[in-house]
This record gives sequence, structure tokens and C-alpha cells, in this order.
Amino acid sequence: MKFLTAKSTLPFLGLLGMFTFFSLSSTSLKAQEDGEKLFKSYCASCHSAGNNQLVGPGLAGVYDKYEREWLYKWIKNSQSLIESGDQQAVAVYEQYNKVLMPAQPVNNEQIDAILTYIKDYNEKAPAAEAATADAGEVEQVEVESSDNTTYIALGLVLVLLILISVLRKVQYSLSIVEAKKRGEDVPEEKGMKDALAHWVQTNKTIVALMGIVVIALIAKAGWDTAINIGVYTGYEPEQPIKFSHKLHAGTNGIDCQYCHTSASYSKSAGIPSANLCMNCHAYIQEGPQYGKEEIAKIYAALDFDPVTKTYGPNTKPIKWVKVHNLPDHVYFNHSQHVAVGKINCQKCHGPVETYTVGKQHESLTMGWCINCHRETKVQMEGNGYYDEIHERLPENLKKQYLEDGTITVSELGGIECAKCHY
Amino acid sequence: MSTNKKYWKGVEELHDSPNFVESKNKEFSEYLPAEDFLGDKGLLEGSKTNRRDFLKYLGFGVTAASLAACETPVNKVIPHVVKTDKANPGVANYFATTYSDGNDYAEIIVKTREGRPIKIDGNKQSPLTKGGVNARINSSVLSLYDEKRYRAPQIDGSDVSWSKFDSAFKAELEKAITKGGSIRILTNSISSPSTLRLVKEFADAYPDADIKHVTYDSVSHGAAIEANKEAFGKAQLPSYNLSKAHSIVSVGADFLSSLPNSVGLTAQYAATRKPENGWISKHFQFESSMSLTGSNADVRVPLKPSEQAAVLANLYNELAAQLGQPSMSAPKTPYSAKIKAAAKHLLAHKGESIVFAGANEISAQKMAVAINYMLGNYGNTIDIDRAVYLKQGVDSEVTALVKEMNSGQVDVLMMAGVNPVYNLPNDLNFSDALAKVGASLVFADRPSATTKSVKYIAASHHYLESWNDQQPVKGHFSLAQPTINPLFDTRQMQDCILNWMGRNEDYYTYLRNNWKETAFTQQSAKLLFDDFWNSCLHDGFFTVSTEGEALSYSLDATSLSVPKTESKDWEIEFYQKVGIGDGSQAHNPWLQELPDPISKMTWDNYIAMNPSDAREQGFATEYGEQKDADTINITINGVVFENVPVIAQPGQAKGTLSVAVGYGQPLGKSDELVGFNVYPATSSKGGRLNYTNQVSFEATGETYQVATTQTHQTIMGRDSVVRETDWSTYKNGDKDDYNPPHMIAMHEGPKPLGDVDLWAKHPVESAGHHWGMSIDLSSCIGCGACVTSCNSENNVPVVGKDEVRRSREMHWIRIDRYFSSEEDRVPEDDQSYTLMEVAEDNPSVVHQPMMCQHCNHAPCETVCPVAATTHSNEGINQMTYNRCIGTRYCANNCPYKVRRFNWFNYQAYSKFTDFNPSTDDLGRMVLNPDVTVRARGVMEKCSLCVQRIQEGKLTAKKEGRKVMDGEIQTACSSACPTQAITFGDLNDQNSKVLAEARGDRSYRVIEEVGTQANVYYQVKVRNTESNIA
Repeated sequence: MKFLTAKSTLPFLGLLGMFTFFSLSSTSLKAQEDGEKLFKSYCASCHSAGNNQLVGPGLAGVYDKYEREWLYKWIKNSQSLIESGDQQAVAVYEQYNKVLMPAQPVNNEQIDAILTYIKDYNEKAPAAEAATADAGEVEQVEVESSDNTTYIALGLVLVLLILISVLRKVQYSLSIVEAKKRGEDVPEEKGMKDALAHWVQTNKTIVALMGIVVIALIAKAGWDTAINIGVYTGYEPEQPIKFSHKLHAGTNGIDCQYCHTSASYSKSAGIPSANLCMNCHAYIQEGPQYGKEEIAKIYAALDFDPVTKTYGPNTKPIKWVKVHNLPDHVYFNHSQHVAVGKINCQKCHGPVETYTVGKQHESLTMGWCINCHRETKVQMEGNGYYDEIHERLPENLKKQYLEDGTITVSELGGIECAKCHY
Repeated sequence: MSTNKKYWKGVEELHDSPNFVESKNKEFSEYLPAEDFLGDKGLLEGSKTNRRDFLKYLGFGVTAASLAACETPVNKVIPHVVKTDKANPGVANYFATTYSDGNDYAEIIVKTREGRPIKIDGNKQSPLTKGGVNARINSSVLSLYDEKRYRAPQIDGSDVSWSKFDSAFKAELEKAITKGGSIRILTNSISSPSTLRLVKEFADAYPDADIKHVTYDSVSHGAAIEANKEAFGKAQLPSYNLSKAHSIVSVGADFLSSLPNSVGLTAQYAATRKPENGWISKHFQFESSMSLTGSNADVRVPLKPSEQAAVLANLYNELAAQLGQPSMSAPKTPYSAKIKAAAKHLLAHKGESIVFAGANEISAQKMAVAINYMLGNYGNTIDIDRAVYLKQGVDSEVTALVKEMNSGQVDVLMMAGVNPVYNLPNDLNFSDALAKVGASLVFADRPSATTKSVKYIAASHHYLESWNDQQPVKGHFSLAQPTINPLFDTRQMQDCILNWMGRNEDYYTYLRNNWKETAFTQQSAKLLFDDFWNSCLHDGFFTVSTEGEALSYSLDATSLSVPKTESKDWEIEFYQKVGIGDGSQAHNPWLQELPDPISKMTWDNYIAMNPSDAREQGFATEYGEQKDADTINITINGVVFENVPVIAQPGQAKGTLSVAVGYGQPLGKSDELVGFNVYPATSSKGGRLNYTNQVSFEATGETYQVATTQTHQTIMGRDSVVRETDWSTYKNGDKDDYNPPHMIAMHEGPKPLGDVDLWAKHPVESAGHHWGMSIDLSSCIGCGACVTSCNSENNVPVVGKDEVRRSREMHWIRIDRYFSSEEDRVPEDDQSYTLMEVAEDNPSVVHQPMMCQHCNHAPCETVCPVAATTHSNEGINQMTYNRCIGTRYCANNCPYKVRRFNWFNYQAYSKFTDFNPSTDDLGRMVLNPDVTVRARGVMEKCSLCVQRIQEGKLTAKKEGRKVMDGEIQTACSSACPTQAITFGDLNDQNSKVLAEARGDRSYRVIEEVGTQANVYYQVKVRNTESNIA
């Protein structure tokens, strides 16, 4: 127990330290946030904040290397600076293969913010590693504590058993005392088994009731197990690439359908092909968590050389593990739900933008489907298809169907068998 | 009803034979040996599995099954590395291409899913084939995924690389060229202008060598070509326009199935059979075996094949007399009354008629030309200038080639699209001649009789993997484009020739360049070639108007004659079956299992004989699982066939036999032959005649198991299944005359059916959609294109001959063929049935497509204990496989007998591996991913192509518009070459199906039981003899 407390104070101390750090540097925090945003919108498509070269050079150290005033001029309009014959500018231009950096619509304060961000980014890299190490320890502690509950339960059972045997001894001693008092024969000590049999003999009703409860519990457990066969809620398989939805859809706010392109017109939402990744990853060659390792797997699939930026012939597809598996006898169409029903992806897939590893959020059982079809209102407005259906209804049926003012999917036949099974 | 007819599905029903009476009330004809088994004590005691063991197995099995179910499946999902624009998983792509195998031709649309072609439909925009296909064409997609296809080129029977193959064969070519030897290219009729140009360039490239291209067709139309040459100086076939023909006379020609461009002819023919047009054509058919065409004729005259010429001669004289022209010498025939009637009708429709001759006999073909000329049909219904290039083979050429080969003069023989060892007559002895050729090569995509005896096998693409073009009719060009990357290491013929000529281009480039030089220059709508090419590729075809040339007709009565034939007891005719055709797709199990439209036989060819002849000879005339056919040893033109089955075929002319070509080839993965090959018995003397009197046979006393669907699914004596009338009754009469409403007897008197109902009205009318279908019995010719289309759309399993014999075929749609005879011909006191025999000799035929009728008050729905079959609010009777427990109550309670039960796991059980395509990974590629593959133990039936309905609705929803009428088509309605099947929304007030359902001819099958089916039928209208319009 002592050991446990000692360990759990560690993260607390870490947190305390971080808090102090943040409160001290809170002035730069705001600028840093702005700087990050600005960097991403103006610079990130050609520059990394670190050392690696994309289209343009990595920007680590740029704040120390050049004078601030010169940087202002260069960033705002590098072309005029080169044309004015500025030696430093011409040198940079020549050094990077005479690729002109386009003029950026930013003011001096914004440039300062960007430079602050780049500086912070490079200085903070080791700190971030330390933070992840901490998180790892926290997890470990959690695992240990969950193990302890089992020990505690086992201990309790043991204590109870000891208590029972002690009480039995006490009761037996008392019965001897009482028998001696009354002058009767000293009763023989019954074995545990005999005692139990005796108890069962005398308390048949309780035993029967307990039996019923046990059978009911077993049946319930069996039923729960059976009904969950083939249900894989929370299924979270390891993927060949440690792709994080949290980073792409969450932090970077990329729209789901940017990658899952066919969700709006096909039955399947589609797993993006490797060439789609290259729209960004031709430039972004390093990720925040796994560095180059994971992104290199995309390059390997495409036989892409990140240095020369050329594609080779030896492509090999990425074999993702399918997370959402519907049985073959179910027909599901994404476009029906996305384009016509205008259902958010999250409704079925959960808060994907917070997942680091893709997982199945809902049970995907038929009951779950039907329940939603019963509750969901059909998006009829502005759709000529439903206008036509509506027009055909004679008055009496209109009254019947529109009693509650809404039309749900099931009222249009959305829970009939052949809507999904054929 | 105006006619008082009796309908019967087979001879046994007509005669109410004891066997039939006993079995007609049994749905399952098979004998169940339960009594034998349980009654046999020794067997029961001898069995080693006792009750306890059984329980142990059961317990173990259940546990194992549940454990297996617990296992989490790990499915991989593998996206493209680089995705192309149009390759979207879950979205179908459609490509316009062309089917042309030298026998059948159609412009088609191929549906591909995830890059795999899975369905073939007609190209609705095609002016030539008008969106039609036949069973052979829409089944051809299955051949692409045939396990037996060549994976690589072969030399002497072993796989080699293309580079090795090329160098070896090029050496052979060079050897022949340097010594100035002769190279022969033997092909079927090639109607591809680019291929023909390439072959010619190949020949021209080596002027030192003697290079010649020889054409022959498996089923020859050489006589017609030569007759036209004599008459017009052009060795070619004319094109027909049946859609204007009021009077059609066919003497032995099966133009709906066996003539070149039969798909186009079918569409034209159907246009003349719609009574709503205000007229219908009158169709006379003189023939010996009952063909698909003959079964649709208004007047059918059975005769011996050798009498066809005499009939034509008499018809000629009859017309010549009326038109004041010289007559020809003609022998007497017993059919003069029918010939006079035909002549009268033809004369009433001069220039609006067509006379066909079917015999591959120059004299008969010349008479047909002369008659058509006399009637002024050329320029109206027949266009000699718009030549049909689909058949070009002249029989003398191949005979000359064989002679040349035999003399050892041929150094190199290349063959493409032909199988001469299999389908040339025995008297040519092609295989011996082939052995004397220096080097032989065949372009083939699978083994055949010919590939066994050649050295070089150039493994070819399937047509769905190839580039090509076609000119089926002069001035009409079509393109064939690949719909899938080649599955194996194969190469098409044209690419091989380009390679061997040392030309550094592929056939695609060659094709494009040829079109740039030829077709592109014949139009002015598109300025850029790329635009032109892309629009042609998109549409699939390109038409130029051709200038008609003046006809120079040079036949007169003196040049016409009837060949003298020795009269013999028996004559035999060789014909093509609707499913198998000339046999180029005999390996295709969908086609083998398609019941013949007339005999309803599957998986076999046989000798067909008139039923009374058969009875006279002592042969069985009734067939079933327990009733086998008798066999004979038959000698045709000196070729002996032992132990072949004889089938009694109503409508077969007395004293004649007929037998289908195209059989005797191995099927699927096995080497077992299906049927027997009669091509060797055709004779090369005097062209390849399609009949002969050199035939004799003897009974063997043995029997043969045949698989027929004929006596299954009887109509149980109900006569409200088929309704028909004649033209004058339809035209002049009241609806009640030919399509009276059903009346229900009530205590207050008879009431129309619609007024009486025990059930609450099903709320499908006017709410949402109400899918329905209308089938026009006047238009349906019974070709079976709908059956095979349904097979490929709905993953219908192939069950094989043995299971068909047990009435377990799985087809969701069948075509019921009812023979009928005028009952009033039989006096009531006549118990001898002798007059009925007359009807049996020449019955009229009704083809009735039958599938789930989607009853609004469905008898099947009420008896299902688990609600696996239910009604949707769109009027569809839904079948939910994963809920079905297989009680089969629904099938028992269905008055239409359209539900099929999965007796086996057809995808996995070893019994079916030889022929069921979906038992291997390659064959499974043809499955429609939108339709569940059903498991053993569940019921299935027509779903009204609910997957297509759902898709059509979804498209409309996504585009924010209503569903257009005709936009959603079921597999059967889209495949129908006669547009007999109309599908649509009965709640759409402007839909075609609603108009038809409300029409005067509309009725529902077995309507009186109150099922309220959503499938309507249109009364068949015949232009029968008594009422010549």
C-alpha cells in the first residue's frame, strides 16, 4: 500500500511542475497559439517548423539566423527583395534552386507570432517526450489498482470464511457449555459437510429460492453471452499504420469525406487510396507522435522517395483491418444515410475525431438499426422525390400518416425486411 | 373466353395417363424411402450409431458451432494504391460493347462492379438490336470466369511464355515465307472491318508466300449467300425489316433464334404482335421440328424437311398465277390449302411481307428470293444493299482447304473462332488433314476438340477483355471494348498478328487509326477524332447512311427447280437449340440448365420424334424422375450414334426426326460430355445440308435418364391460367368476349371478384410506390433470355441434371409452355382420343413467363411460422433468408408454385463442384455483390429485383426528383428482346404498367382465389386461320 502511494504522487508532482511552467510562460501562450494557427495557414504547406526540408527549407533556427527586419521584408515580398539586389536574399534564392517564395499577406506582429511559435516548437520537443513518459506511468498505476480490487475481494472472501469457522467454533463451545449446564451429553462436533446438509434439510424454502436465483442468473448470463455473439462493440484492431483520427479529423479538422470520398455516393464509404494521403504527406513528412516512421509506410506503399520526390514502380497496397463488419446478408448503403438522410458520421461511428485508433462505437445489431429507423425523421424538405410521394397520398391517408406531424423512416417502410435483406 | 380449349403441359396430361393422374396432386414427385428404411430391422440394428452416440455428436456439434460463431473474423480491407477516377467500390460502371461470336450478335451494356463484369444487358439505344439480347448472349459473362480457360500460351500442350511462343511460331512463319509456302488462316465469319484489314495487311506483307483467308461457319448459311449472288450478283445476305411485315411466311427458317441477327429480328417481329397498334402480323410456318419460331406461328404446318422446296415452289406458282407471271414446275404437296391461304395473305400485303427459307439448299433459297421479289418486298421489308456480314462462309471454300491440307501443301494453318475438328462433317475428315499441315496454330480461350490436335495454342482473351469493332450490317459499325483487365496471361489474335508482323503497335492503336481513316471521315458531326472516338465508345455504335444501289435482278422461273429426293420412311433435321446454339458456349452451365422452350429438356440433346410415331415404335412418351426415355442406335449419313435417347415431341412432323447440334462437349471442370455431337453426321456433299434422309435406327431396349421440367408445376386443372383470343374477336368484340371478369357465387347471386374480399385492403394503393408488372402473352416468344438474365442478376445456383430430374431446379422465373388443342373437335361421346391425336400432332403453343406474383393477399405470408416472408408497403412479397427456417409451408401454399427451396449448400457441396460456377474463386467473381448467396435450408423466389428498385429509388432521392417511369427495370424486363415484360409503379398515374394493368387484355393468373397479384398478364391474341385480317 505504501508503494502505491509513493508511485501515484509522481504524476501529481509532474502536473504541479507543468502548472508552474505554464503559469510562468502564460504571456507567450496566447502568441504561441496564434503563431501555430498562422504557421499552419501560411507556412506549413511548404515549410516544416523543424529541420527537414519540404518545398522550402525547415525553419528551425531561422529566428536566430536572420535579422528580424530582413525577415519581415523577405516574408512579405521576397521577389522585390531579390530584385533589389539584397545579397542575402539572392544567396537564399540561389541556395534553394531558385524557387521563389510567394509573398505572404501577413503583418509584422503576425510574423513575430509565427517566429515565436517556431522557436517554442523547437525548444519544446524534448519536453513533450517527457510528458508522454509520464502518461505511460499513469497507465501502469491504473492497471495495478484494478488488480488490487480482485485481491481485496478474495481477501474479503477469505476473511468471511475464517469468520464463519471461528463463529462455528464459538457456537460449538457455547453449545457444550449449555449442554453441560443442562447436564446433557456433550454433542459431537459436526463436520462442515454434515452441518451444511443439516442446514439444507432444515431450510428447504431458502435453498429453493436461492436455487431459482442461481438458475436465473446463469440463464441471464447465458442469454447475454448468446445475444452478444457477433457483436463487436469497441472492436479496436491494430492497424498496419498507426493512423490517428484524432490528429487528422480532430486537431487538423479535416472533413471525413475528404478521405472517405465515396460516402456520399456509394454503398461503401471507402478507405482512402494511398495517393490521397500524398495530397498532404508529400510535404508533411514527419508526424508529431511517431515522427517519420509511420508516414514512411505510405511512401513504401507508393514506392515514393521523399528526398527526390519521385514515385517508383514497386507499389504495394496497404492492408488495413476492417473495423465495421456487417454480415453478408445485410445491405447497407452509406450514400442513403449521408447524402439523403443527412446523418452525421458520428451518429453511427461515434466521436471519431477523438480516436487515436479506429474502433467500433455502436453495436451494429439489427435492433440498433431499427431503433434509429423508428426514431429518425425523414429529411423530406426540398427533395423532389418525397414531394412526389407526398402528392400521391389521398387526404384520408395524409391524416393517418401525418397525425403527429412527422414522418419517421419506419413510417415509410424503413423497417421492412427487404429494405436491408435481399 | 372465346375459345374453349384444353391446355396441357405434356402428352401424359393430355391423355390423363394413370401415372400422371397418380402424380399430379403430388408436389414432390420423388419417391421417399422412409418406410423401407424404418421397416428394415436388420438395417436399423446393424447401424453402429446408437441413440447415445447420436446425442453425443449432437452436443459436440452444437458446442463446436457456437464456439466457431464466437470467433472474431478479421477482415482485411485493401484500397487501391493509386485510385482511378471511376473505380469506386460499391458503385457499378457500365460499358457499351459488342457481342459477336460468328453466330450471335448484339450490342450490349456490361455492368461491372469493383472492376468485374457481372451482368450483360442489351444496349437500348442500338438501332440494330434494339436493346435485346438472347439467353446465349447474356450468359456469356459466365464464360469469362471459366476455370478451364487457358492461363498462358501452349506449345505441344505445355505452358510457355509469350516471348518463347512468339519466337517459335515466328520461326515457323519465316520458314514458310522464305520457301514461298502457303499459309492459311481459317476463321469463322469475321464482320470486324479492322480485323479484316489486318488480315489482309498480313497477307499483303509477304507477297512471296501464298497467304489466304478461308471462312466457314459452324452452321452454314452458304446456300442463301449463293442464291443472292445468283439473283443480284452479290454474295451476301440481305437485311430484313420485319417490323413492317403484315404477312410472314417461313418455310423451315427459325428466324427468332437461328438466323443471323436473330436478336434484331426478334425485336422487329415483336413490334408486329402488339394488338394495340391496330394490326398484327400473320405468321405462317412450314417446318418439321417445332422450333421457337414455329411455336409462335399463327398457322403452323408440319412437314418433312425435303418437302420444303416443294412448298416454296407451289407458293411461287400460286403467287405467279395471281400476278400473271410464268410458273415453274412443282411437285404436288398435301398442303395446298395452307399454301393457298398463305399466298392469299401475302398478296393482300404485297411489299409488306417476307418469305423465309430455312434449308441450306440453293434451290430453296432461290425460290424464296424469287417470291420476295415477285411480292415487291425488296426495298420495303428486305434490303439487299444493306448487307448482313454476320455469316459469310461458303461451304466450297472449306472443302477446298481440306483438300489442300490433305495434299500436304499447307505449311502453316492458323485458326481463330472455329472448332473444325468438332463441327466439320466426318466426310471431310479434318483431323487427318490437320495432321498433314506443317505447323498448326489455334487462337482459343479454352480447350476444345481442335486444340487437342494442334501444336501451337495462342491463349486468347475472352471478348470482354478485348478490343474490336464490328460491321454487322453495311453502314452500321460498333465497338467492342475491354471491361476488365485480362485475367490471365492471354493475348487477342489481332495483337498476336501485329506482333508477328513486327509492327510496333497494339491492336487498340491499330483500331483507332483505322477508325480515324475510315469511320471518322464518313461523318461531320464531330470535328476532332478524339471526340468522335469517345462518343462512339460511349454509345457503342456508329451508323452512316448508305446509298442504295439499283437492283439488277436476274432470276426467272426457268432457273428455279425443286431438287428430286428419294422418298424414305424417315428424315432427320439438324437444328440449333435456343440455349446452346451452335455449341460455342456448350461449356456454360447456365445455358445447359435453361429448359428448351419447346421440350423443356435440360442438359441433353436427343432425337425428337412425333408422339404417335414414338408410340408406334414402342418408345416411352412420358418422362420424369421415375420415367426414363428409351434409347436407339441411329445411323445418320453413315455415322453411328449408340444409345441416344428418343423424346416424343408434340408438333414434330410425322416420319421426321430432329436432333440438336452443339452438344457432345465437356462441361465445366469435368471432362464428362453433355449429349452427343451430331456435326460429324452432317454431310459436306452439295453444301452442308441441314437435313438428310440417310437415316436408320433400331431400338436398344435400354433407357436413359432425362432431366425435364415439363410435368412439374402442373396447373392443377385450373383453366384461368392462360387466356387467349383471336384477332377478330379482339378487334370487334367486347372485353367480356375474350377476357370476362371472374364472378363469385354469393347467396344474392354472382358478384364480380373485386367486390368480395375476406381480407382488409392492403394499404399499398396510392401510398408511396406500388411495384407491379405486366406480361404480354402476345409478345412473349418463350426465348428464355429472361431466365438467364435472372440467373446472373440474382445469383441463382446451377443444380445440375440430377437435381433437375428431382424437380429441384432453382430458377426464379420459368417459362411455362402450354400446348393447346381445340377441344370442340372432339365429340363428347368420343372416348377413343383418336381425334385428340390430331391435335397432338400440331398443337398451338402458349409461352407464359411465371415468377412470384407478389400477391397483395399472399397465401405464403399467412402460413410462415417465423414471418420470414412478409409484404412490403410497396407491394413486394419479401423473402428474408436469414429468418427462414425451411418449413416449406409457403411453397406448399403457393398457388403458382414459384418458390424454390435450397436443398443443398450449392456453393460448397462436392456434388456441384463440376458445374456450379460459384464453387471456386474464379467463378464466384460473377456473383452480384448486392444479392445474398442463399444458404442451404432456406426458401427463395423472385424478389422483383428489389436490389434494382432500391438502387433506382436511391438515385432519385439523391438527385432530388421523382422516380421516372421505365427508369427501374427488373432483370427479366430489361433482357426481354420483345419487350413483353413491363415493370413499373402502379401508383404512378402515368406509368406504362398501370395503363397495361387497366387495359382490356389484362388479367391475373388464378385470380379467382383472391390473391390480388401484382403481376398482370395480357391476353394472347392470335391471328388465326379462320379470321384472316
